[in-house]
Amino acid sequence: MKNTNYSPETHLILRWQQFCEDDKTAFSEIAELNYSALYHYGTRFTVDRDLIKDCLQDLFLEIWEKRHSLSGVAAIKPYLFQSLRNNLLRRVRKQSCFSDIHDDDVQDDLSPEISWIIQETDQLTSDRLKQAIDSLPKRQKEALYLRYYEDLSYEEIANVMGLQRQAVANYLQYGIHKLREYWSHSAILLVLCADFNWH
Amino acid sequence: MNNYADFRVTDWVEDGPFRRWVYYGEKAEFWNRFRQEHAGQLAEMDQAREILLAVRGPLEELSETEVKSLVGEILNGIPDEPTIRPLPWWRSNWLKRAAMLLLVLGVAFSMVRQQPGLKKLQTLVAEVTDFSRPETIEIVNTTRDIQLVNLPDGSSVLLKRNGRITYPAQFLPEQREVSLSGEAFFEVVKNPEQPFLVYSGGMVTKVKGTSFSIRANDGDREVELVVKTGLVEVYAQETGDNGSNTAPRKILLKPNEQVTLNRKSLRMITKTVERPTLLNIPAEVQKFEFKRTPLLEVFAELENTYGIDIQADYDAIAHCTLTARLGDEPVNEKLDLICAVVNAQYNIRGRVVTVTAQGCE
Repeated sequence: MKNTNYSPETHLILRWQQFCEDDKTAFSEIAELNYSALYHYGTRFTVDRDLIKDCLQDLFLEIWEKRHSLSGVAAIKPYLFQSLRNNLLRRVRKQSCFSDIHDDDVQDDLSPEISWIIQETDQLTSDRLKQAIDSLPKRQKEALYLRYYEDLSYEEIANVMGLQRQAVANYLQYGIHKLREYWSHSAILLVLCADFNWH
Repeated sequence: MNNYADFRVTDWVEDGPFRRWVYYGEKAEFWNRFRQEHAGQLAEMDQAREILLAVRGPLEELSETEVKSLVGEILNGIPDEPTIRPLPWWRSNWLKRAAMLLLVLGVAFSMVRQQPGLKKLQTLVAEVTDFSRPETIEIVNTTRDIQLVNLPDGSSVLLKRNGRITYPAQFLPEQREVSLSGEAFFEVVKNPEQPFLVYSGGMVTKVKGTSFSIRANDGDREVELVVKTGLVEVYAQETGDNGSNTAPRKILLKPNEQVTLNRKSLRMITKTVERPTLLNIPAEVQKFEFKRTPLLEVFAELENTYGIDIQADYDAIAHCTLTARLGDEPVNEKLDLICAVVNAQYNIRGRVVTVTAQGCE
């Protein structure tokens, strides 16, 4: 157990097994390795940073509690993403005054708590592209995020979001199509913008 | 080579290496060159890039320290559970950090404390000669091996064959003084309030808490010292016959610096060495950094370094591991730390250390 020059994935799996066997150091490493990504994912659902941190704390304490039953978890990152998502949506729903709305409503409504935030200061993305992505349903945006930024597979995204694989494929296809469509409308403008942005 | 030349926006967003470049700047050189060589692809690539960045959204990065402290809070929230399998609390990172912090603080301290300079050399020197005080202990290593000497303050001295060390049974409150003839490696307990002085063959060595080797054999024309850790101050001992009232030249040495004092001319020459080995004993180069090292190996290393014999219930500690940077603490402090970590007690008698451990699960 001395030198661990494995790939990050293998390393994470090893550490996960150690964590399941009560290794606190492994647990802390797993938390440190995944915290940022989970936090950023959390910002997809709420602007309340403290709430995200709270949920992350709950999430990790919870998995520590039940560590002995977690050695069968093969896809660690999707598992963590899914857990955070469930925790966060539950909390967000509890906070909102519409306590009995359905899952879909929560995610697809433009409620302020669950808004995607695309900052104006992000200079690399043009305003109009922001508008385009803002106009996408939340679940599509989330699927795109998990697919492209987090590099998850269709199956993993399906697990995280509680969807069928085909639904994920549809979301992704539709999402990219919409973004592309926006592009063809503003192609001329963007050539200029892109040229400007690259210098 | 990929068929990148024919890629469309939808292909680019699906391409892993491309995404890693957009998101993390990976292989920037390749991509910049590619962009120059495939001007026709620029529009498609830029579109894909913008889409990917829009998908990511603004990146709100948490700093590494922030993450560490947040995770630390989580770890604090874990109850110390009296379950069937007691949690080895020492496996968490805090110990490693605490050890490092101590080390850093120690070094910082010794650096800060070196500043005020030397006071009253003459009196220091005068006191040295005053070894007529009762309860002076003298130890001569007549064995063939190195011999571990534990000083009253807990500092350790590894005395080579024929080495002789003299020290009071109890150190004075204002300073710790020992005299040495022969060769020895010192690990001095850090105590800035009570400087540690070694008198050896005309050379005075003053430290606050460091490790270093001295070679001061009676017949030799020179006295040598090399620093392993910390800061060491040396100067030639006043003989009094030149009657000068100016303070002698003192030299401040850093790790891996060596000084040679000519006993006759009192000239000191310093040089930097690659490894602080003067006596060719393991302690001079031993780093004592352990990462999940089985306790058995740690003990073997201590035995080898200090010439001691550690007796323990080796079955009980078979599963114990240690993660720590023990650095230049004297052997007592190293044992203190290890035993605290594995929940054990120890007892030193001569060169035999007896460890009583519950064992680790």
